[in-house]
Amino acid sequence: MKKKVLSILLTVAMTASLLAGCGSAGSGAANSGAADAGAADSAAADAGSTGDAAASGDVEEITWMFWDDLEATEDLISKGYKEVIDRFNQDYAGKYHVTPVTTNLEEYYTKLNALVASGEAPDVFIVSPGPNLTTYVEPGVAADLTPYLDADWKGSFSSDAVFAQQTYDGKIYAVPLNIAAACVFYNKEMFEEAGAAVPKTWDELIDACEKIKAKGHTPITISAGTAWCLSMLAGYLCDREGVDLKKIDSGEESWNNPKTLDAANKMIELSQYFQPTAAGDTNDVATAGLYNGEAAILIQGSWAIGQINGENPDFEQKCGVFQFPEIPGGNDPNRVIAKSDSLAMSATTKHPEASIALMKYFTDDTAQKYTAEVGGKIPVTNVQYDATKAPAQLADVMDIFSNASSTFGFYNESLFSTEAGSTFDDNMVAIYLGEKTPEQAFDDLDAWYAANKK
Amino acid sequence: MEKLLRDKKAIAVFVLPAFILFTLILFVPICQSVYYSFCDYDALTSPKFVGLKNYQNLIVDDTMKIAVKNSLFFLIYSCVTQLVMGLILAGLLTNIEKGRNVFKNIIYLPCVLSSAALGLLWMFIFSPKLGINQILAKFGMQGPLWLMDIKGYITLPMWVIAFVALWQYVGQSMMLYMAQISGISKSLYEASYIDGCNKVKSFWHITLPLIKPMVGTAMSLNAIGSLKFFDLIFNMTEGGPNHKTEVLATHLYQQGFKYFKYGYASAIGTVLLILCLIMTFVINKLFQSENYEM
Repeated sequence: MKKKVLSILLTVAMTASLLAGCGSAGSGAANSGAADAGAADSAAADAGSTGDAAASGDVEEITWMFWDDLEATEDLISKGYKEVIDRFNQDYAGKYHVTPVTTNLEEYYTKLNALVASGEAPDVFIVSPGPNLTTYVEPGVAADLTPYLDADWKGSFSSDAVFAQQTYDGKIYAVPLNIAAACVFYNKEMFEEAGAAVPKTWDELIDACEKIKAKGHTPITISAGTAWCLSMLAGYLCDREGVDLKKIDSGEESWNNPKTLDAANKMIELSQYFQPTAAGDTNDVATAGLYNGEAAILIQGSWAIGQINGENPDFEQKCGVFQFPEIPGGNDPNRVIAKSDSLAMSATTKHPEASIALMKYFTDDTAQKYTAEVGGKIPVTNVQYDATKAPAQLADVMDIFSNASSTFGFYNESLFSTEAGSTFDDNMVAIYLGEKTPEQAFDDLDAWYAANKK
Repeated sequence: MEKLLRDKKAIAVFVLPAFILFTLILFVPICQSVYYSFCDYDALTSPKFVGLKNYQNLIVDDTMKIAVKNSLFFLIYSCVTQLVMGLILAGLLTNIEKGRNVFKNIIYLPCVLSSAALGLLWMFIFSPKLGINQILAKFGMQGPLWLMDIKGYITLPMWVIAFVALWQYVGQSMMLYMAQISGISKSLYEASYIDGCNKVKSFWHITLPLIKPMVGTAMSLNAIGSLKFFDLIFNMTEGGPNHKTEVLATHLYQQGFKYFKYGYASAIGTVLLILCLIMTFVINKLFQSENYEM
């Protein structure tokens, strides 16, 4: 009898503990909320003599999600963001506190999407304008920031145009932090050694590559392993040929047309100058190819300045920048691919004031000055910065940017969905790898559009 | 205790916790996932029933074709190589006197290490700028682009990854076979030697038939493991270059977490589940055998 009672008791205890486990997993948010409240209560109770502890119970805790590891990074822009976070936490100590949630770039949207899907979206998160931002605007994940901007914030920005890519139906859903322009970086020493001039046209570019190759150097370092890098080159070539992307994306024109085919053939022509491992090299490996002196040319956005100068400070003086060359008889050669990092706020955040306060820290004078002087990106506000302190490459980028007749986005970020962008990227890589002819690739894109565009 | 176990209520009380857990964290999500596979679902808006559309899209999806091809290649490759290598190693190790434990541990070690770390390690080894190719270059040879080549029906990166998987998991098959072999009575071998068998013959006529049930078990584990294989591929190539090393699990991951297409990803998951069930069934049929008294 004793044994029976004992075994039943044990069973009940085991079952109860298991179910308790289930319970806390199922309603984790509610429970932890209650626990927090409890902790706050006890903190308040304990705080009879120490006022500070009571205050700590009222700290509004928010999260900020970002695509680089703030502790390990060598990227100067990321380091700047870390300073912003530290400054915010220091200035608002006792009132607000932000905790960064970081991933690497490749995993970023995967993790963000998983958090959004599970109803735990970060309060503030970084996002690329274009279909990526649309993904969060359409289902109402990103909050409308217009009222906050209109209140007292918008005036500090350099112009309303900086919000162009973040505006949907007249409402602004994200705040840009900086602008980067895609250009061509080159190794001045290698160009000099090969007797190559800075190319202004397509033929001059091929000529320069030929001369550098003759000297035994790799002319171009590029990543096809990280598909958007190759796709950026394809985008530039298409634009220089005069491709009208809007018409193609809306279905008025087909992908398979003489201009896209010309662009693809030029990409194939240029690919003989790529490093032999381009097919699998990641973006970081390809960029390292330039600052380690393995190749002469890198086609990249000016966001790479922070990475290049951070990883190899000695390379700064050897590094020149030029505008992507003109294709004679083609489109306006002064058009530039521009991209901005933007911050969005979760529509479900319980702490909008804290979130907005944080976002303002990213666009205040200290942060924007850092963006230009250290990070080497173009600021979005009217901040005055010391051009002599800024990276050597920024002056060239500013030149290109201020002479630009107009800007356009990455091709893969200008199509109707993220997947359409990836399909474009994949087909460009397939052309480069020789898996498909340009005709096949663009036919496949047309077929994909027919099947997937609603 | 025996009296207690005859009581139906007591049995129910014992079984209930595990049953509830199993239902909540396994059975319900599987059913949900099968339902989502018939829906257009992005996890941000509620699922919309679309019938067989996801499955129709699967049939025309080029990446899916590559993924199925690679998964089947992986399945066949690892079933065959792990069986052969596992048996050879188990046969050898049970027959050596000195150093058995040392070799056993060395061969089993990769099994207990993290696949993510091993994936990175092997990626460095096969990277053109760091590993094998640098050694080859010292001898004036130019190595292939191990993880980037795209030629052939089954591309070189798939063979490389399959080799790494064999290296990592062969220890597990070996351990299973060794456990079974060490359970075979010595007297059977002694009798065979008296009848004129040599070691090879006795392995063929005694060891193999007696470990047949274990071969079936090890192979089922292997087959399921290789069909849902993910970590090494994701860490070594991420399915690239240009989806050439995509398998079902990486394709599912991409569709679900990159493009928010949870309905479509669920359809891939359902196909994967059905494939696993079929393979387990086939292997169990193939290796059905009587249990011998040992």
